Amino acid sequence: MNNQTSHPGSASLTPNWFQRNKKTLALLTMVAPAAIWLLLLRYLPIGGIVLAFKNYKIFPKNPTFWNNLVNSKWAGLKNFEFIFKTDQALVAIRNTLLYNIVFIILGAIIPVVLAIMMNEFTKKFFAKTYQTMMFFPYFLSWVVVSYFLNAFIDAQYGVIPAAQAAAGKEVISWYTTTKPWPAIIIFANLWKNVGYSTVLYLAAITGIDASQYEAAAIDGATKWQQIRYITLPHLRTMISILLILNVGKIFAADFGLFYNVPMQNGALFSVTQVIDTYIYRVFLTTGNIGQSSAAGLLQNVIGFVCIMLANAVVKRIDSESSLF
Amino acid sequence: MKSNHRLNTISAGTEAVFHVIIGLFSICCIIPFIFVIIISFSAESSIREIGYSFIPRAWSTETYAYAVQRLPQIWRSYFNSILITVVGTLLSTLMCALYSYALFRPDFKYRNFFTFFSFFTMIFGGGLVPTYVICTQVLGLNENYAALIVPLLVSPFNIIIMRTFFKSSVPLELIEAATIDGSGEYSTFFRVVLPIAKPGLATIALLNSLAYWNDWYQSLLFIKQNKVLQPLQALLMELQNNVEYLNRMSAALGSSAIQEAMRAPTQTLRMVLVVLIVVPIACAYPFFQRYIVAGLTVGSVKG
Amino acid sequence: MKKIVALLLALVMVLGLAACGGQNASAGTPAAGSSSSTSSGSTASGGEPVTLKIWFHGSNVSPEASSKVLDELNVYLQNKINAKLDVIWGTWGDFDQAVVTALAGGDNVDMYFTCNWSADEYNRYARDGYWVKLDDLLPQYGADLLQAIPEGIWECAKTNGYDGMGIYAVPALKDTATQNCWDVNGTLLAALGYNVDQVCSKGLDYYSSDFEEMLRKAKEYKASQGENDFYPLVVEPMVLERLVNYTAIVTGDLPGANVLSYYYDKDHPSKDIGSKIVNKFASPEFAKFAARTYELSQKGFISPSTQNTGTSNDYLTACQSSGSYLIGTQSYAYGCEIDFSNARGIDVRMVPATAPYMDATSGQGAMMAISAVSKNPEKALQFLNLLNTDPYVMTTLNYGLEGYTYNKNSDGTISFIQENRSNYSPWRNGMGNIRILPPTSDEGASYWTDFSNYYNSAEALPYGAFIFDNSVVETAGAAVANVYAEYAFGLCSGATDPNTVLPTFLQKLEAAGINDIVNAANKQMTEFLS
Repeated sequence: MNNQTSHPGSASLTPNWFQRNKKTLALLTMVAPAAIWLLLLRYLPIGGIVLAFKNYKIFPKNPTFWNNLVNSKWAGLKNFEFIFKTDQALVAIRNTLLYNIVFIILGAIIPVVLAIMMNEFTKKFFAKTYQTMMFFPYFLSWVVVSYFLNAFIDAQYGVIPAAQAAAGKEVISWYTTTKPWPAIIIFANLWKNVGYSTVLYLAAITGIDASQYEAAAIDGATKWQQIRYITLPHLRTMISILLILNVGKIFAADFGLFYNVPMQNGALFSVTQVIDTYIYRVFLTTGNIGQSSAAGLLQNVIGFVCIMLANAVVKRIDSESSLF
Repeated sequence: MKSNHRLNTISAGTEAVFHVIIGLFSICCIIPFIFVIIISFSAESSIREIGYSFIPRAWSTETYAYAVQRLPQIWRSYFNSILITVVGTLLSTLMCALYSYALFRPDFKYRNFFTFFSFFTMIFGGGLVPTYVICTQVLGLNENYAALIVPLLVSPFNIIIMRTFFKSSVPLELIEAATIDGSGEYSTFFRVVLPIAKPGLATIALLNSLAYWNDWYQSLLFIKQNKVLQPLQALLMELQNNVEYLNRMSAALGSSAIQEAMRAPTQTLRMVLVVLIVVPIACAYPFFQRYIVAGLTVGSVKG
Repeated sequence: MKKIVALLLALVMVLGLAACGGQNASAGTPAAGSSSSTSSGSTASGGEPVTLKIWFHGSNVSPEASSKVLDELNVYLQNKINAKLDVIWGTWGDFDQAVVTALAGGDNVDMYFTCNWSADEYNRYARDGYWVKLDDLLPQYGADLLQAIPEGIWECAKTNGYDGMGIYAVPALKDTATQNCWDVNGTLLAALGYNVDQVCSKGLDYYSSDFEEMLRKAKEYKASQGENDFYPLVVEPMVLERLVNYTAIVTGDLPGANVLSYYYDKDHPSKDIGSKIVNKFASPEFAKFAARTYELSQKGFISPSTQNTGTSNDYLTACQSSGSYLIGTQSYAYGCEIDFSNARGIDVRMVPATAPYMDATSGQGAMMAISAVSKNPEKALQFLNLLNTDPYVMTTLNYGLEGYTYNKNSDGTISFIQENRSNYSPWRNGMGNIRILPPTSDEGASYWTDFSNYYNSAEALPYGAFIFDNSVVETAGAAVANVYAEYAFGLCSGATDPNTVLPTFLQKLEAAGINDIVNAANKQMTEFLS
């Protein structure tokens, strides 16, 4: 593989094109496998974006996908209308943005704190055990989670209503009362994702050179100072990268969470309807690929703009931690 | 070493507080899974009487027997899943590491281009149908193992994460030093960089293996006739959907459907299928974790 | 950065065009070939046999069993029509998602299962040009088929498709009528001291005090046995509404959101009572129904589990299979009370709320369409012709091979060989004319005669085979469907108080444009009837 580097000495004598560029060429061969994949599986189909602007119909004379696409009539921005036209859509947009802001903020703080705390345990065993446990939510689908939650709050069989009834208190009908749901949704989201991000931060902490801490300790730095001046700066890149990527998802929501956990109960829509569930319900009704493509494209464009903005801000503060 | 054991650590009190906070959260994380296991061993009749409960009225392994009996292919599918996961994880992790390593190198001429090249696909895509058409009609990903592996090979998200790992753990001086010593790019990568980046590499491998193990969608799209290739997750999803469908529609579907639906333990089945799919991958987890947490206590003194 | 974006865009355009070009070129040749095969006619001709790919729904067929059965069937098909069959055995679990992608992507499949409730909805896909119009082909390639299926069923299959009004799929001659029934737990009813036969023959009135009295007695009876968690009325809320109000589904109503009602005469469904299509929720009947349901719910006759969309189905199944209910709802299928009684271990009675009726919704319950992609639509139709008229083809595809999956009995019935049958169980009702199958020994020799008599007796609704084209109100439909999802289930299950909720619901429906939908439907119906 690295035959280009087999005569390091000769390069200085007769530097031909290959030898002059051997580093770039070697790096290009490293990029090649994934780049070719991206080209074939991501860039080739990307023409499909125009679906968002088409009234997709089949071309019966020779109905291959590309013929259909090319021969479908242009729809202008008509496919986008439904995202802004109704009250439900506006509620969905509001909910999506509010939940995402909370998720972004908490999601940036909690895993970092947990990772740092776990790094301080004197016995590695605990860190390992906790971390394994924290990863379990990642294995469970939202459908399963919704049944778990239901076991607690189900009006007929649930533990909590039963306890309320036994204590002579008024029994809340959880699936028709909106009030507790923002808290439930936020907790469920953290519960599911914190373990995952914690692993990323832990792995980043693990990469820190131990000698830095030893040197600091010898200089008399306290544990808190070590965290402040060694660990955190070290995590800075990971924190800002994950933050930027999360900001990019501001206009999109975890469909499974918002669809399954409230068990699709209409009475909760004012706090659980988000853009993705709204689009899904529309798609079920109209079956219009153009509309769902349009919604997806809009989500992506907004996400793209947000990422670029966030990236620019981060770049100003610390160019090393930005995405590009 | 033993003598300065408590030298560079937080106080015992603080650590106790940490234990309480993290411990409680960890328990929150594991309880639902314990719940799933309990339900999977509950008798369906118990659920009909008292709903999902931590303390069922009766225990039973019947649902497991039902699942295995309904899925004559289950062992073949376990094999498929393992094969796909192992091959897929190896390939995807290698491709990700190579790509992101090049992006991490500040002296790579086309660094910006390729960074954007992968990032762009994280945001914009052609959508399901065009991708499907390319896969089946151009790339021949249809009714074969490749169709289950290739579509998940590259994740731009993982590339960015891996690049960040390189950035935060691999000192550039090391690479320069290796180059001056006459080491080629590939040997530097495999001999110098990867050993340092092990925790990051293990994390990416973990994410990839989970993605492969849990995937059923590629199978839904690409394996329609040659169903012996179905991975476990797809097989289980199909059974689950079948049973729920039969339950909902049995009357309209005729008498055989009614009998079939009545036999199916719908509610416990859901949980049994979770156990069948999660347990093997959960067992593989410590393998990855070894590398992720390996150097974890370097902050304190190894005791 | 700008440069990179520009470069990427350029790249994308080049690639996109290249892909288009490639597709065009490769797809052009077979299309030309199809015209030449037209001449082969209906008789078996020489040359290479054509392979027809067909996609069924709801199957449970193992790959080995499939190839065993198809190998033998294909010998027969080659002799008959010089064609071979290649089957995709879609399952309940994967059909909807896979088929939509395959159709949009132009997969090389000749025939698809379709109907008005699956994801490849017959009318919509006909409108968008996915199915081949069969009217001109049928006399030549499907003459027997045309005879075998009654005129009334063909009428139901006529839809306003891509090439104008016509037949775009072959409807299956199966359970072609709708009848809503009360599902009564006879065992429990007897235990309460009722004369079950008398109660059932008299019928049930949802609004009567007798009805409520029965529920109350059942609840008290169970409570006296220590079962405090018993709810006698276990229903599918949306079915309950249709059953109580005698409303029919308007074919072509919003998928997943039935917002339109058509009222019919419950004893003589074919009688014209001057109905129009109305907004389901704005009618006085609906208000009355919602108030009554809420009342029964408040009295503790309906479980909160029924009222939670997420648990409603599971709860229903659990109650049914343990016989833990007094009254439920059921869309009737011929003979199902016997199957239910056997499966649940109680005396299940079906009490008709209405006479059976026929409309496009029941007529389009299962169909086979020929894809516009098919290079051999004539051959495909020849195959469908055989499937619906040749007992050997139908029996082999449905039941497998004699001696492998079933054995013949002396009385003309068949018995399954269970171990092999469990690996080869397609969905019987989803294929075609099931009335040419031999009855199973469980069903008895006269099964199909009785079956046909029952379904043939069904009257057609006066608006007949009308199909609403909802594509004209797409934007309103999207908005209305979301409002529907928010309120309808709560009202129909008695979870929410109609006094406070119904006015809000109606007002939001109007804001979302329900009236446009109702008007469009009525306009289309007037045109259809004239």
